[in-house]
Amino acid sequence: MNQADVTKLMSRLKIKYAPVRRRLKNIEGPEGRLKKIRKTLTALVKHERIELNFNRADETRGYVERLISDAIRYGDCHRATMELADYWLLEKQLIHKLFKVLVPRFENCPVSYTRMYRAPNLPPDKGYERAVLELRGNPYPPLLPDTTANRNLIHNVLLDEAHKEFRAQKYAEIAKKLEEADENMTKSPSDVAAESSQESETESSEEAEGQVPDEKMAQLSREKGEQPPDILGMFGLLRSYMY
Amino acid sequence: MVKIVKMALLSRFVRRFRRDIKSNFLLFKTVANSEYRCLSSLSRPEKLVSEETKEQETNGGHKAVVPLECRFVYPEFLPDPRVGRRNSLRERLERMDMLNRRSNIDVPEFYTGSILAVSSANQHAPEKLSRFVGICIQRGGCGLRAFFILRNVIDHQGVEMFYEMYSPLIQKIEVLRLEKRLDSELLYLRDALPEYCTFPLDMEPEHLSQGSTVPVNPIKVKLKPRPWLERWERQELKGVQDLGLPERFYKRAAEVARPWEKYDLMKEYRESIPAEEQESIFAEVYTQLQQLEITKKMKRKRTFVRPKRTG
Repeated sequence: MNQADVTKLMSRLKIKYAPVRRRLKNIEGPEGRLKKIRKTLTALVKHERIELNFNRADETRGYVERLISDAIRYGDCHRATMELADYWLLEKQLIHKLFKVLVPRFENCPVSYTRMYRAPNLPPDKGYERAVLELRGNPYPPLLPDTTANRNLIHNVLLDEAHKEFRAQKYAEIAKKLEEADENMTKSPSDVAAESSQESETESSEEAEGQVPDEKMAQLSREKGEQPPDILGMFGLLRSYMY
Repeated sequence: MVKIVKMALLSRFVRRFRRDIKSNFLLFKTVANSEYRCLSSLSRPEKLVSEETKEQETNGGHKAVVPLECRFVYPEFLPDPRVGRRNSLRERLERMDMLNRRSNIDVPEFYTGSILAVSSANQHAPEKLSRFVGICIQRGGCGLRAFFILRNVIDHQGVEMFYEMYSPLIQKIEVLRLEKRLDSELLYLRDALPEYCTFPLDMEPEHLSQGSTVPVNPIKVKLKPRPWLERWERQELKGVQDLGLPERFYKRAAEVARPWEKYDLMKEYRESIPAEEQESIFAEVYTQLQQLEITKKMKRKRTFVRPKRTG
């Protein structure tokens, strides 16, 4: 039953961390553990991408995130934070890098400041799991391919179709407004022309989106002169990509 | 159309959210059906649901500006930081019960080093009420198990009383002197000369002017000669006079000292609650706590305090 220590305010860590610390086998005990983590932390801030054993990487990750979040929260004019940076960064030019480069980089970052990947452990190495620890925004080429721009992935497919649907709706609205303006200007003969033009528009938009399994919806649209939300057209597309 | 796209994209998050809600609701069901009688403030389980929706509304809507100084005045509202002890539903229920108790009895703001007078129900006392006056030497616990320890020397005998702040036996908590000390825990008063822990049982409350900060008493306490209950030379105590020990004690203290712990960022993180979580917790309870404060002030204004003659 411990009361939380409220003397210092700290930002929430945006990474998953173990509930209990790892002891990190070393001769000097708890102090040696912090010395090891300090070396790894300095290396990470210096090189921005390092490959090392998984346990050490996971331990260091929490400390890196905490140090950067403290630097962002308190800045370099705060004595305690400067002392922390002085302890954790063995090369003193990295203190400048922390406050002048990393803080502006991660100031508005809503996700974690580091990324950790599991690295392969090829034979004859049989020992500890390996990991790659890197800071976001590092200058090296990415380790994993960036799939956000791949138009064939389902989320991009759905987004593209949503864009098309939105545009089609906007065009329909504009056409409707123009027709209403025309109706106000002229009289009944123009109404028939407006309806026919609407029908041709709906047909063309539906064809552009591919299969329309439900023809009743299309019929209804022609009768009412409105464009319904093409929900089932979307499902048709989904099916075509899944199978 | 766009709605379905959004659903597809957020389906992962919706699933996770649903899982959390499901587990919480299963717990809620068992609580509501079988165990709600044990919870003091719950008369009906429907009350729980209404509280939850209320919280969601306040959190989803505008963010109230909550001063984080609440964390010093109401530290027991923050949960136990140990991961294995966290349970969001239990914490919310506890906060509800704490607010309910605070609406019945006034639990004032106090710190370690303040002098309190606590009246608690005692079936064996002549008036079924026993009153104890003492200095708060320790304060701890989370939620409904928040406690404080008062110390006093009565008839040359040191006496300590352990009180649970939200115990229904406590009838009244008065703060006779509101002040802080240089240390967060005053357990060294057990090894201090008795004059530092003696307070008259009929002590009058000392009032502070409205809106003033809590004064810090810079007193340095003199300890009795060794043996002590703890090795005070190994703890960085600011409220103690020079201990006057031989050099070897300080040498050994330096050997066993752990100066690296103040740089241990993850250790301090695991022992505390992050600021965002503190804000969300106090956002839940702040409005009600403010209302209680206001009603307390109004009550105080009504009672006339006869001015004491000085000099």
